[in-house]
Order: sequence, then C-alpha cells, then structure tokens
Amino acid sequence: MSDLSSLLPILWGGFCTTLAIFGLTLLFSIPLGLLIAVLKMSKWRVVRYPVSFYISVMRGTPLLLQIVAIYFGSYYLSEYSGLGFSFDRFPAVIVAFSINYAAYFAEIFRGGIQSIPKGQYEAAYMLGMTRTQTFFRIILPQVVKRVVPASANEVITLVKDTSLAQVIAVTELFALAKKQQAAYASIYPLFVAGVFYYVANLLLSVLFAYLERKLDYYK
Amino acid sequence: MPILKVEHVKKLFGNLNVLKDISFELNAGEVLSIIGPSGSGKSTLLRCITQLETVNGGLVQVDGKDMVQSGDKGTPVYAPAKVLREIRLSTGLVFQNFNLFPHLTVLQNLCLAPVRVLGVSREQARETGKSLLKRMGLEGKEKAYPCELSGGQQQRVSIARALAMNPKILFFDEPTSALDPELTGEVLKIIKKLAEEKMTMVIVTHEMAFARDVADKVIFMDGGYIVEQGTPDFVFNQSGNERLSQFLSRFSKN
Repeated sequence: MSDLSSLLPILWGGFCTTLAIFGLTLLFSIPLGLLIAVLKMSKWRVVRYPVSFYISVMRGTPLLLQIVAIYFGSYYLSEYSGLGFSFDRFPAVIVAFSINYAAYFAEIFRGGIQSIPKGQYEAAYMLGMTRTQTFFRIILPQVVKRVVPASANEVITLVKDTSLAQVIAVTELFALAKKQQAAYASIYPLFVAGVFYYVANLLLSVLFAYLERKLDYYK
Repeated sequence: MPILKVEHVKKLFGNLNVLKDISFELNAGEVLSIIGPSGSGKSTLLRCITQLETVNGGLVQVDGKDMVQSGDKGTPVYAPAKVLREIRLSTGLVFQNFNLFPHLTVLQNLCLAPVRVLGVSREQARETGKSLLKRMGLEGKEKAYPCELSGGQQQRVSIARALAMNPKILFFDEPTSALDPELTGEVLKIIKKLAEEKMTMVIVTHEMAFARDVADKVIFMDGGYIVEQGTPDFVFNQSGNERLSQFLSRFSKN
C-alpha cells in the first residue's frame, strides 16, 4: 500500500480534469437543454422538426462516436475547407458532452413544462402577465421542482460518462488510472479511480436529496 | 351605457355549436347570475368574454371598448392586442379550481401582478394585499402557501388576487363547484359582501338560492341559447318557461 501516496496525486490531477468536464458540461447543457425544450414545443414545424431530429441523433448514437465526430470532424473540415478552425481535444469534449446532454435535459424539461396545468397559464394571462413573465415567474419555478429527480439521474450519469473523454486522449481520471494500471502491472489503480467516482456521486446524491427537501415547501 | 355588452355571440368547437346566439347587457354595479344545466354553454360564454376563448361571431364590448365585433362577412374582428390587454386588465376571473400559484405564498400571489404588470410599488402592493386578505377573513395567512389552506380559503385568496388588480368587472366560473359543501358558505358570503359594495360581477353558478339572492339579473341558459333572462323574481317565480321550471324543479326536490 506504500504506493498509494504516489498514486493519489496522479489520480487527483485526472480527477480535476474530470471535474472540469463535468462542471462545464452542466454549465452549457442545462441552458441549452431549456432552449431546445422550448423550441421542441414550438407551433412551427420548421422549428420543431429539426429539433426533434437533433434530439433523436444525440440520443440514438453513442456519445463516444459523437466525441470522435466533433474532434476529427472539425479537424478534417478545417483541413479541407481552409477555414483554419478546429477544436482542440478538451474543447471538443466539452462541445460533444454539452450538445449530447442538452438533448437529454431538453426531454426532461419538456416533460416538466408540459406537466404544468393549463390553469396556471390562464390565471397569469387574466392577470395581464406577458408570456415571458408567465414562463419565468410562474412556469419555470414549478418546472424546477418537477425535474429535479430526473435531472439527478442525468447528472450522476455524467460523472461516469466523463471517462469517455479518453477516446481522444484527454487525460481524465480513468485514462490516468489505466496508465497506472500498466505501470504497476495491477488493476489496483482502477479501483482507486472507482472510489473517486463513487465518492463524487455520493456527494451529488446528498446534494440532490437536500434540494428535493428544500423544494418540498409546496405541493 | 352598459359596462358589458354582448350581442349575437356564437362559438363553435369543431362542429359542436356551443353558443348559438347570445345577447345581454350589464350595467356597472350590477350582479348577473348565469344558471343552467351542465353543457349549456355557461362557462364557455364566460371564457369567451374573458378572452380565454375566441368567438366565432358577434360583438363583445367591455367598458365602452370593442373587444370583438362582426366584420363584413360576419367573421369576428378582434381589437388590436393593446386594446385586448387593456380590456383584460379591467376584468378579473375567479376560476372553479382557483389556479393559485402554488410556489408563491398567499401574499406573493396577491402582489406579483400588481407589481409586475401595473407597476405598483412593492410596499403599496403589500399594503393592498394585506387589507384585501383582511376583507376576505384571511388575516395572518400572508406567509402560508396555497397547499396549506382549505379549498374555501384558497378560493378566497383567488378572489383577493383578482381584486388586487382593481378590475371593473369580476367574473366567477362556478366558484364553489370544487369545494366541499361545508366550505361553499364562506365563499358565497364574500361574494355577497362584494355585491353589497356594488362590485360589478358575473357569476356562473349551480347554487340556485345564492344566484337568486345575490343577483340583480339572472340568465338561464340551455343548449347554447339564453332561454330566459330578467330579474331574479321573474326568472325564479314568474317566467313559466317549461325548460326553466323543469331545471329549477330538480333543485327544489333536494
């Protein structure tokens, strides 16, 4: 066990990358997901159909493939079009994760928005509130309460999905653990990485349970 | 000049003719009760006047402003959005199932629209809200959430919420139908008090005794038509209309 002291700092460095992917993905995918949810409920087909297609592709293909596609796709596109712009590894991961998770969040949010009774809109309308006021002051706060449990699932899955970033050689927690596995000729580093994931998700579970209790002040 | 004028209003849901030819007038300070069997179009009429539904023809005039009138081919022509909003702000609606905002406290329910829509100061809105709650017999419930109140209390909050906007006409869509029988009294008492204060009101209700006592004018609807209208005494005692007496006899039996 003497090697734990040298292993931990290495894995901690990877865990920081994992946390960065996690945090940035949430930062971008939640607002994007809300926007997509609203667009998917649009009364115009020209808006609704492309959005539905986007969601079905994001949910219907592996995230692994999407990461590869964003990274190499942007590389080849810049090579052949001469635009001179392509994603570095880390930004490519953030883009792929954000647009993928936005699709899942969008469906959760849409379910939440559509579960709010029509009477809430009618009451706001009769009080002269604008559509924007109604959405942000009446509907959205109630949606938040309803989507917390389903969103918790996504957030916890995201912690583990970050390990997919290694496919384009982003050295997050799991990639580093695998390297150490080779160096130590033992699977022991992988288990230590597993503990990192588990503890992170344990903390998140506690946080979400707290959030649910906090939002339980009304029915 | 009447504060509410409805002429030849028609409403279709697909092929279903819900309102066939509705005309009536109401003066400021008067109370109108609308009675009739389920499916007769009472609630639809209310929802058409309050802009929650659009009409398929006819004229609606609120406080001298045309909300909708018949165009050349009899198709309805609505006023510009700005006028419609002005009209909406001069009317309040109390729903059957309250539709309070569950995530806001009682006082927040009362203050939100006055502050955000009318631009009333927060302090002013709170003062008005508190005095309204007092009038509704709900002192001390400012910080409660709707789910913590009984149905009767919730409905009184929703009346206060509508009154906080200072409407010229207040509409009630079966305000006691979602309440336990022992809770209807407290809501009806409040509406009666408003009638004494000369609030202009239109009340769709199944409470016959209440409709008779509170109203200056009663409309009996059936099958999308106004079958009878007049003073409570005329409609309840003297009309002699067959459908009306049939309808009323069902209530007197209980």
